[in-house]
Amino acid sequence: MERKLMKVYPIEENCISCRYCEVACTMVHSESQDPVKAYKLEGLKPRPTVEVKGAVSISVMCRHCKHPFCFDACISGAITVDENGKVNLDEDRCVGCWNCVLVCPFGAAHPFVERKHSFKCDLCEERGFPACVEACPNRALIYDFER
Amino acid sequence: MRYVIVGNSAAAVGCITGIRKVDKENEIVVISYEDKCYSKPMIADVLVDFPEEKLLYRDKKFFEENGVTQILGHRAISVNPESKVVVLDSGELVPYDKLLISTGALPFVPPIEGSDKKGVFTFTELGSAKAFKEYIKENGVEEVVVIGSGFIGLEVAYFLREIGINVTVVELLDRVLGKALDRRGSEIVEKMLRDKGVNFVFNNTVERIEGDEKVTSVTLKSGEVLRADAVVVAIGVRPNTDLAKTAGIEVNRGIVTDNHMATNVKDIYAAGDCIECLDITDGQRKPLPLFPLAFEQGFVAGLNMAGKEVEYLGGLPLNSLKFLEKPVLNAGIVEPPDNSYEVIVNDRFEKKGYYRKAIIKDNRLVGFVAIGEIDRVGILTNLIRQKIDVSNIKERLVSLDFGLVDLPESWRKEKLVEDKTAYKDWRAV
Repeated sequence: MERKLMKVYPIEENCISCRYCEVACTMVHSESQDPVKAYKLEGLKPRPTVEVKGAVSISVMCRHCKHPFCFDACISGAITVDENGKVNLDEDRCVGCWNCVLVCPFGAAHPFVERKHSFKCDLCEERGFPACVEACPNRALIYDFER
Repeated sequence: MRYVIVGNSAAAVGCITGIRKVDKENEIVVISYEDKCYSKPMIADVLVDFPEEKLLYRDKKFFEENGVTQILGHRAISVNPESKVVVLDSGELVPYDKLLISTGALPFVPPIEGSDKKGVFTFTELGSAKAFKEYIKENGVEEVVVIGSGFIGLEVAYFLREIGINVTVVELLDRVLGKALDRRGSEIVEKMLRDKGVNFVFNNTVERIEGDEKVTSVTLKSGEVLRADAVVVAIGVRPNTDLAKTAGIEVNRGIVTDNHMATNVKDIYAAGDCIECLDITDGQRKPLPLFPLAFEQGFVAGLNMAGKEVEYLGGLPLNSLKFLEKPVLNAGIVEPPDNSYEVIVNDRFEKKGYYRKAIIKDNRLVGFVAIGEIDRVGILTNLIRQKIDVSNIKERLVSLDFGLVDLPESWRKEKLVEDKTAYKDWRAV
């Protein structure tokens, strides 16, 4: 069966570490849909991580790996893979065993320790288009077919 | 073609997943003496008010959708490789073309006098966990002695405190998690558990379990007597190789497999806690009874059983203490065995609540410990797995903002741009 999956691909040459992707992600995943309230009142955290080292910067989020180690490691059944290869994490089912955090080669499954569950990029499935890509002012994130 | 899987946990589900990547049609049969596919690492949660349906690892729908027939409530007692059948305790014969043995591990119970008394439990399957909970209720248990301070022992101790029961953990070594964690990590875990009200007795062991019909106390090697309304034996587990032996399969400390998870007997594969696994951090084959490895081995076995040749990448110790307020994660070698290893430590536990440690050999990361702050440590696990040269980033390995920017640009190009994230793409470079 052919996988038909679109993913977010970062382009590090273009990234200027503005962190708009982090802000947009947190906002669209919040109750309030407000960037300040999302951080300060709802205590939400971004799913992409903007990394900076000297002149290099890059935004990293779940790669929806062709072989997701997080899926192997998930003890609760919260992590599933759909027919296109999209990796989903059901936060309600997650028990916070942190195995996905322990095995993700990209550091893209994050622990929400206070709430006892992990979280990661869901490709903005509900929205239809990833907010981080939309927010990126420099085309450092693109939404493209799986390579 | 008919696939048969004995066992119904991580390795079995991994195997079903692997088979169905290749073969969508042929029948799969799962045989298990238990009544459902539940999550073994979560059974201690039943001690507190944890909804039992949350324990379900894969529901009926999963088996239906994957065309799997489950034979539940029956034990596979032998395998005849000549006639290619599995014999059940009911006498029923289940024919196979390809067989996976994933019989898991059994609790190790040392010969302690009195261990046959009522109120002595092990803790590796749901049945025994529920029986223990029932016993606590019926007998008004107030004091429990846990023998062994491994992951299971400590988790049981923690949850018993949660429901207001007094617990003493008796450990033969001089610290908790002595085989899994480094000394500083043990110290931190012990402190967190003592704060929770767990008592510890180190360098000691239970010599005799006392009581008439039911356990009432234990006598330690030191002569000390501890009140015990119940005892949990959690010293460790050993591979369950009984079924494999009936088929004449080679068994060492666990079932011996090749890199395709095949045993020495034709058309029989093995995966999970019942096998000897290659530990990539030291090159040794040994039992590594860990959930993520079991699933992955089952997955690789399934691919090979269905005709797609794939080699297992090898495993490594991977541990997570999930119940404490501050998470404790570690991978690979955590205490250097000799001075050919480099150790880098970032211990801010007292002031900032975190502790990081990296162990390096020949410029390759071979292990780490992360307590308190654990975000993104999977990158470190992968450095171990892929044996990536870390000579220029040694100090960064214990820094909280360590990330992919610290890795070679060529790595980022391959993984992030070219999306090389299939199973074979994670081999050591």
